[in-house]
Amino acid sequence: MNPLLAFLAASLAGAALAAPADKPLDPNLAFRPSATLVYARSTVGGSSERHGIDIEYRIAPGYYLYRNRLRFQVSPATLPMGDPELPPGLEIDDPFVGKSPIFRERVTIHLPFAASVVQPGRYVVKIVAQGCAEDRLCYSPFPQEVALTIPAGYRTFGAPPGALPTPGSPPR
Amino acid sequence: MKGWLPFAGIGLLAALAGVALWLAGRQAAPPAPPPGPVEVSAAAIQSARFADGDGNARMLGQFAGKVLVVNFWATWCTPCREEMPGFVKLQSQWQGRGVQFVGIAQDDPAKVAAFGRELGINYPLWHGEAEVMDLSRRLGNRLGVLPHTVLLDPEGRVIDTRIGKFDEATLDSRLSAITGK
Repeated sequence: MNPLLAFLAASLAGAALAAPADKPLDPNLAFRPSATLVYARSTVGGSSERHGIDIEYRIAPGYYLYRNRLRFQVSPATLPMGDPELPPGLEIDDPFVGKSPIFRERVTIHLPFAASVVQPGRYVVKIVAQGCAEDRLCYSPFPQEVALTIPAGYRTFGAPPGALPTPGSPPR
Repeated sequence: MKGWLPFAGIGLLAALAGVALWLAGRQAAPPAPPPGPVEVSAAAIQSARFADGDGNARMLGQFAGKVLVVNFWATWCTPCREEMPGFVKLQSQWQGRGVQFVGIAQDDPAKVAAFGRELGINYPLWHGEAEVMDLSRRLGNRLGVLPHTVLLDPEGRVIDTRIGKFDEATLDSRLSAITGK
């Protein structure tokens, strides 16, 4: 091995081990949400469709989000939304609070549209989340925002498959 | 041919130093990230209003003249609850020596009261709404994490701030150093 490379590799390994891994992350780095416009035609049962916004959370190792404390609000409120669809999550048993479902690593939450026609435009999903760094500390409820654009011509229920634009495609 | 040996040796030493530092860090007290700047005056700290278990308005200024240990916490925050039995012990040990603990939670008052009864908390547990974490943030808790503990001198000035759990022995030592007792 190149001696300089050997030196650098060994030094970096040492420095990485010495880094303050215990320093708590900013909540926006520990819990990173992103939004995607989704539509899917289910093959199970034939005709059901799934339209709405997927919020994907990437959660840093050693951190978790409380499932039942997540709140979502889409702004402007002209976009009619159904109740959020959250996976069951993992259960932790707290001696005082009892059993609480949590999310680790990665989770996708579906926010369904509640109308067959949605207004194109730019929307912001406002989230209030709550979570903890395992055994160390917790984050009081913190606000987050993710934006997405609904392109012109986007149709939800009953639209023929060919009429659906690709998510993220520019407005026509 | 052997010219790489000194470089590898230095690199190995650096790696060993890193491992040593890492091990030292693992054995140290719970992480205490540097708090942000205090952006609130002693007068504002003392006049901030919260509610006690009976719904009566309370202010930290009622304990003027004592060293205050103000602990921001919540019933849903497991690390917060883990450190509180240590606070109960320290409150007993220090109550005759001019030290007063106060817990403040942005939480459901009924849950706060139930927790206080269940764990036999021997110091006031107050609650409030957004003003709780607002004060915590202005006291240097820029990430808004819990637990957060602030030590105030008898005039309400900030002496020390701890983000994350406050180890019982460490807090005991700090109180000894602050009070000289």
